[in-house]
Amino acid sequence: MKRQVPIMLAITASFLPVIAFFFPNAWINEWFNRKLDEWMVIIASFAFLLGIVSMVQVNLHKVRRRQKGWIFSVIILVSFAIMASCGLFGAQGERENGTLYPFTWIFQFIYAPMQATMFSLLAFYVASASYRAFRVKNMEASLLLIGALIIMFGRIPFGALIHPVVPDLAEWIMRFPNAAAQRGIIIGAALGAASMSIRVMVGIERPYLGKS
Amino acid sequence: MNWAHKLLLIDRRIIFVVVFVGALIPIIWPIGLAVQISPPVKAVFDRVEAMKPGDAIMLSFDYGPSDGPELDPMANSILRHCAKKGIKVIGVSLFPLGGVEMAIARFMQLDTDLKARNGIDYVNLGYKDGAPAPMKAMGDRIESVFPCDANGVPYSEIPVLEGIRSYDDLELAISLATSIIGEWWINLVNAQFGIDVALGTTAVSAPKYYAFMEAKQAIGVLGGMKGGSEYEELVARAYPDLKGLSRSATMGMDVQSVVHLVIIFFILFGNVMFIVTKRMTRGAN
Repeated sequence: MKRQVPIMLAITASFLPVIAFFFPNAWINEWFNRKLDEWMVIIASFAFLLGIVSMVQVNLHKVRRRQKGWIFSVIILVSFAIMASCGLFGAQGERENGTLYPFTWIFQFIYAPMQATMFSLLAFYVASASYRAFRVKNMEASLLLIGALIIMFGRIPFGALIHPVVPDLAEWIMRFPNAAAQRGIIIGAALGAASMSIRVMVGIERPYLGKS
Repeated sequence: MNWAHKLLLIDRRIIFVVVFVGALIPIIWPIGLAVQISPPVKAVFDRVEAMKPGDAIMLSFDYGPSDGPELDPMANSILRHCAKKGIKVIGVSLFPLGGVEMAIARFMQLDTDLKARNGIDYVNLGYKDGAPAPMKAMGDRIESVFPCDANGVPYSEIPVLEGIRSYDDLELAISLATSIIGEWWINLVNAQFGIDVALGTTAVSAPKYYAFMEAKQAIGVLGGMKGGSEYEELVARAYPDLKGLSRSATMGMDVQSVVHLVIIFFILFGNVMFIVTKRMTRGAN
C-alpha cells in the first residue's frame, strides 16, 4: 500500500489535466483542471513548511554537536526566528505615519543590501576569470572572443562612440545567432522535460517515493 | 619563468582593486554618456504608450533583492509611465525569495514620486506560491488566486479591480523576472491565453528571451541595467516633467561601462601575454 497508493495518486493527478485538455467540457474543466490548480497552490505552500522544518533540524543538530561553523547556524536560527516573528505577528509595508513595519525595514535595509552585495561580487570574479581563462587557443575560441567583445562594447554607450554600427551589430548577434542557439537549447530542454514527465506519468520514474 | 608568464599569473587581488577603482570613479564623477535605444525596449514602451487611460496591465515582480539593482529601475520607469498615462497597474508576485517586498518598495516609491493612490491607480495583490498554477488559474479568474490584496482588502472592494476578472480584461502582462518564471509567463500565459507578454530580465538572462521575442511570443525584452536605462530615457523624453526623478539605471550605466572596459582590457591583455609567452617558450625550445 505504501507504494501503490502514491503511484496511483501520481498517475491519476497527472492524467486528469491531459484529459481535461482534450474534453472542453465545463464540468471536466472545473474538476480536472481548475480545482487541481488550486490544490497545487495549497500543496506548494506546504513545501515551505518542509523546508523550514529541515533547515531548523539541520542547524539545531550542528549547534548541539558544536560542529565546525556552528556559530553560523546560530545566526541562521536567530535570524529566522526574528524574521518569522516579524512576519507572523506584524504587518508589511508602511505605517500611516510613514515609518516601516519591522519586517519591511529588516528586508529593505539588511537583507536587500546583503543580497545585492553578494551578487555584485560576481563582477570581480568575472574580471579575474576572464583574464585567466578567456584564451584564443583555436578558431572556436577566437569566434567566441570576437562575439563577446562586440556584445560587451555594444551593450555600453562607449560602443556607439567607437562606431555607430557597433550597437546594431551587437543587437544583430543577439537577435539571430544567439536566438538560433537559444532555440536549440530551449527545444532540447523541453523535449527532455516532456520525456521525463511521461516517465513520471506512467510510473516509470518515481521521485516522490524517495528513489526511482 | 619569463616576465610575460609572471604577468599571466598576476595576483587576482590586483584585478579586484582595478575593478573596484573602475566602479568607484564613475560613482564619484558621473560620465553621463548618451543612452542608445534598442528595438526590444522601444517595442515595450510603444505598446504601453499606445494604451488608453483606464486600460489595465499586470506587473509581476518575479525577482528578489539580488536582482534589484537591475530590475528595480525597470519597475520604477514602467510604474511612472503607467501613472502618467492613467493606466491601471495590478501588481502580483510569484517569486518566493522576496518578490512581494520588492513590489511593496516599488509601489511606495511610486507614491512618493507621483502621489499615486493604492487601490485606485494601482493595487498590490501580494505573493502566491506555485507559480505555474496561479498563472493558469488567473486566466480563468484572478480573484480565485488573490481573494484579497497584500493589505487584506477583499478583491471586490478594490476600485481599481472593478471590471477586471481575468487576463481577458488586461492589455498586457509584464514580468520582471529572474530564474524560469519569465519563461512560464510566455509558455503558459501568452501561449494559452493570448495576452501580450513583455519581460524585464537581468542581463544574464536576456539572451534566452530573444528567442521568444523573435518567435513573437514576447512583444519585447528589457535586458539588464541597459534595458532599464533605455526605458528611463524613453519615459523622460515622452514626459519631460519626470526628468527630475531618480534614474538609477542611467547612473548605473556609467559604472557598467567602465567595468566593461576594464574586463575587455583584461581579456585582451591576458591574450597578448598568452601569445607572447607561447612565442617565448617556442623560441627558447
